[in-house]
Amino acid sequence: MAAIWLLTVKNIKLLLRAKWSALIVIFAPLLLILLLGLSYNTSDNFGIIVGVYAPQFTEETNAFTDLLRTEQFTIREYHEDVQKCVDDIKGGTVHTCISLPEQLHVQDNTQKEIVFYVDPSRINLVWMVQETVKSKFNIKAQEITQELTQDILSKISETQSQLSAQEANLGTAKEKASTAGQSTSTIVQDLKTIDFQIPERSANFSGNISEAGSDLTERLTNTKEKLTDASTAVKKAGLEEAEEEEIIKAIAGGINTISSLLDSGAGELLISLQKDLTVVTDKLSTASSVVSSSTGTLTASAADLEQVSASLESAKSAVSEMQAKLGSLKVTDAQTITSPLVTKIEKVSGEKTYLNYLFPALLVLVIMFSTLLLGTTLVLLEKHSPAFLRNFFVPVSKFTFITSTYVTNIILIITQIIVILGISLFFIDDALGSLASVALILFIGASVFTFIGMIIGYLFTSEETATLASISIGSVFLLFSGIILPLEAVPPFIRGIAGFNPFVLTEKLVREVFLFGTPLSQNLLDLGILAGYAVVLFIAIWIMESVLHKHLVQRFMHRHHVFHRQREKQLKNI
Amino acid sequence: MALIRLQGVTKEYRKRKVLENVNLTIEEGDIFGVIGQSGSGKTTLLNLIAGFIEPTDGQVIYFPEGSTKEKDLHRHFSQIKKHIGYTPQHNSLYPKLTVQENLWHFGRLYKIDKQTLSTNIRNLLNFTHLIDYRNFLAEQLSGGMQKRLDLSCSLVHKPRLLILDEPTADLDPILQREIAHLLQEVNKQGVTIIIASHHLESIENICNKVAIVHQGKVHTHGLLEDVRRPYLRDHFTIRVRSTEQKQLLIEKLKVLPIHKIIDKGHSLVIYPSNVESIMSNLIRIIKEENLYLHDLDLRRPSLHEIFEKIATSTESEGQVK
Repeated sequence: MAAIWLLTVKNIKLLLRAKWSALIVIFAPLLLILLLGLSYNTSDNFGIIVGVYAPQFTEETNAFTDLLRTEQFTIREYHEDVQKCVDDIKGGTVHTCISLPEQLHVQDNTQKEIVFYVDPSRINLVWMVQETVKSKFNIKAQEITQELTQDILSKISETQSQLSAQEANLGTAKEKASTAGQSTSTIVQDLKTIDFQIPERSANFSGNISEAGSDLTERLTNTKEKLTDASTAVKKAGLEEAEEEEIIKAIAGGINTISSLLDSGAGELLISLQKDLTVVTDKLSTASSVVSSSTGTLTASAADLEQVSASLESAKSAVSEMQAKLGSLKVTDAQTITSPLVTKIEKVSGEKTYLNYLFPALLVLVIMFSTLLLGTTLVLLEKHSPAFLRNFFVPVSKFTFITSTYVTNIILIITQIIVILGISLFFIDDALGSLASVALILFIGASVFTFIGMIIGYLFTSEETATLASISIGSVFLLFSGIILPLEAVPPFIRGIAGFNPFVLTEKLVREVFLFGTPLSQNLLDLGILAGYAVVLFIAIWIMESVLHKHLVQRFMHRHHVFHRQREKQLKNI
Repeated sequence: MALIRLQGVTKEYRKRKVLENVNLTIEEGDIFGVIGQSGSGKTTLLNLIAGFIEPTDGQVIYFPEGSTKEKDLHRHFSQIKKHIGYTPQHNSLYPKLTVQENLWHFGRLYKIDKQTLSTNIRNLLNFTHLIDYRNFLAEQLSGGMQKRLDLSCSLVHKPRLLILDEPTADLDPILQREIAHLLQEVNKQGVTIIIASHHLESIENICNKVAIVHQGKVHTHGLLEDVRRPYLRDHFTIRVRSTEQKQLLIEKLKVLPIHKIIDKGHSLVIYPSNVESIMSNLIRIIKEENLYLHDLDLRRPSLHEIFEKIATSTESEGQVK
């Protein structure tokens, strides 16, 4: 146990006394975690810039953008054209674009379409933004659905209350109609009692009728005489025999009729009529009273029926009103009500495979780690080479030495780039057009990473420590690049710094050229910054080499001297 | 003609004096040995001359060829360094390059034109007997061959000054002799050589001048004989075949300026007033009297003995203090 403790203490001492090793092995991962922790210790979407395009920014669209602002998205409004917003996505100044319709509220059964423009090469960001923005859309859609449903429900409710109101009216009408019905039955019964049977001819004539009969007989006698005279006159008139015969025949017929009437006793007939008339008079009197009674009933029924009519009229108008209300509901399609807003995702780079989207990042990742490690390894190879000391005497400038290391690295990396880009042609069809620009960007990026790797090589003594330092630096670049964790999730200050991360710059340039076909002339600033880095780092190495070279030589000699002394001691002991 | 001169050179590391007030001159054509124990400061002295480190105090002066105008070595190092060849303790070459590639690489870095360089390399390969191994990787060579290649790399640009740090370390005696011979051959071609080593025997064999460094100080320096002189013994021992011959020799020696003769039975210990002057007379007597000389111990003190004496006297001085 004591031995374990002793050895452990010794190990810790050795580690801590080898300053750089301790720094890198122990503190670098801690520092890395600390940096990331500090940077990403937030749940806010600080840095997401959402471009919103609408033909017209109405109260509704503004309300929606305000909703997005509550998520701490920065909203950039585009009034003219959605293409400008799309171009800004490509340029990386906007993360997503939303094209809104003029009105978000649905007017008819047509769903409103909202188009998202996203850069699919930034997958992690795309999903994050899309999910967040979509959730806001869902809230908005829910609001609209709610309003639509509320509208429908309120109209149904109004209809229901109107129907309730009309139900009472109709009840009354029903009662009135029933009463009218009963009255009508009564009237019918009453009317049925009226006797319309005409009495048989009575032989009993009243005095007046006898007189009337005598008078009638007299008049008929007179008429017979006159007809006889008329027959005589016709005969005397000298008419055509046929005509005369016909007229006389007619007159004779009349005379005969009258004679038969006279023979049958017309007076008696009249008496009978008088009797019948009396009967009829009685019947009519009875009928009159029935009719009188029925009139009253009918008047009441008429009033009832008027009320019924009024009720029905009211019900009719209520129904019309309800019909109008329900007719005013323009959104009747269930799908439109449940999903009034539909979202559509448009990719700004056109339809490509995931390899296309990942390719720029993968490419830069490979180049970054290769060059960082290669730069470090080459410097350390030279530093640890037995021939290192001899180079101290050769009349070759430090510039030449640095350049030769750089050129070696670049030759290897160019070979690597050629292989990777060559292979990429098999997978990515439209890569050929942008190869030259991508190669240029990668060349400058590789130069920057090579110089960083070389600086690490100069700073560290042991190969393991230097390699670990290179990987750590590469990891910092990677973790603050937005490839693994979205850069937009870190506070603006750190994001501002991370924006100058050479990995970010290189990856952005490659992505824009490779995916969007943006000409390099539009990205001269970023390219200039990268080239500037390369120049500054080269000068830094130059200065470092000038300052450190003698020190390195002395260290080298000291190391070997100590080694030889130890060896001599060992030999002596043997 | 002086090539390098150190004037009051002191070197401190973290306020600790590693080398103190060194004054010495290395002349053109010298094979100058710097000897001392491990940690005595000899490597520091060599590094100062090679230009790796600058003195804390004092000056290292370089005398350019064909010019009387001396130059501060460290201030003008970029101009001077091409005239220096350096062979460190370990081999300073690229193990993964062939013998010829190593020579070609360093030669080209010295901006030697291809034709001249090609001739130089061929000569060097012949000189160091590496011609048959020219296409071998350096790492495939034996220790002695690697050392020869290393030496060739230091000589490929024909330097005026060749500095070697422990050139014979880790080599067996045969290889040590081989390297020593090679260095003498190099020197004959006009290259001044400075060697730091604690192999005193090899230094003694090849150097004409030495500097003995101990505890950060150069105790003595100069021609080997001049260095030895203060440490020469005041007596010598002689042994002849018979007692008669011994008595005859005593009689003959009495007439010479000799302080005393001690008869030790088989041998005589003679204390002359001047060892060198008596020696010629002694040889003459032996020749004239036809004496059979059995043994003559006329040893001059070796560098090792001198060094031990210096070390002992320094320690006793330290104890007295």
